[in-house]
Amino acid sequence: MKNFAVIGLGQFGSSVAKALSERGCQVLAVDIDEEKVQSISGFVTHAIQLDASDEKALKNIGIEDIDTAVVSVGGNLEASILITLLLKEIGIREVIAKALTPQHAKVLQKIGVDRVVFPEKEMGLRIAESLVSPNVLEQIKLSSNYEIVEITAPSGFIGKSLKDIAIRTKYKVNVIAIKKKEPNINEAGETEFKEVLNLSPTGEDEISAGDILIITGEVANLEKLRKEK
Amino acid sequence: METNNGNGNSKELALDLLELGKFYYLNERYDEAIKVLSKALKFDPINADIYYNLGIVYETRNSTHEAKDCYLKAIEIDPSLKLAQEHLDKLVGN
Repeated sequence: MKNFAVIGLGQFGSSVAKALSERGCQVLAVDIDEEKVQSISGFVTHAIQLDASDEKALKNIGIEDIDTAVVSVGGNLEASILITLLLKEIGIREVIAKALTPQHAKVLQKIGVDRVVFPEKEMGLRIAESLVSPNVLEQIKLSSNYEIVEITAPSGFIGKSLKDIAIRTKYKVNVIAIKKKEPNINEAGETEFKEVLNLSPTGEDEISAGDILIITGEVANLEKLRKEK
Repeated sequence: METNNGNGNSKELALDLLELGKFYYLNERYDEAIKVLSKALKFDPINADIYYNLGIVYETRNSTHEAKDCYLKAIEIDPSLKLAQEHLDKLVGN
């Protein structure tokens, strides 16, 4: 299992650190602020308070053994650049840094960062996309021309089988899975639903109200499908 | 017919309709479930359980706005309704 360092424990950094930890990874979480270190200490392997722009301090905690470091001190440009530079010099194989502006990203690129992330920009794009196509729940680009989308089943599909809809011939896309919400009663006797994923739908499978279709295909063809009511 | 007065009979009627709504929901008859649960609310407008169940039906149908409103109302009436809070968190993002 790879081990990670997350430097800067704001909202972004702490989410990354906790999510990695939950997935069973070894995580070293670092921040200059003792309070932030304290609040994450129960969730990660090691949480250490130090100034990560101090090379000696970084080496003292054995940072060179880390496979991937995430630098999430986006708010402080100088610290972000300095820490990224130090990590690359120390020889960390993969350094991912959060940037706030394109200029910041450019500097990070020049000093050898392996990946720059713009959480705010990426989230902004996703929100815009979801506002334009509210029935698209998720979208993964496979290449510039192909993508996988998760859409709520158009009402015109409800009660029909995939064969009846002729989704492949009409839209030239493939339904790779159908997510259904099955009503049930939980142990406490409360009404609930559980999500059931049909991963190999056949032509006979019928679409019900509330179903979510996971579809792959060319962007232009998916666009046509998205416009279905 | 008396409605909204919260007296014993109205509340009982609301509970009967709630059960019927649950029955329709479990049989995937969502339109009927919504109709019956909405009617139940007329007889007992401060029943968090009815709001929660109506929220569940709306969410199952992907009517997220309506589901959100129901969960909010359920929590407002009964802040200890954990499931309603969990569903609201999932829908709104928390």
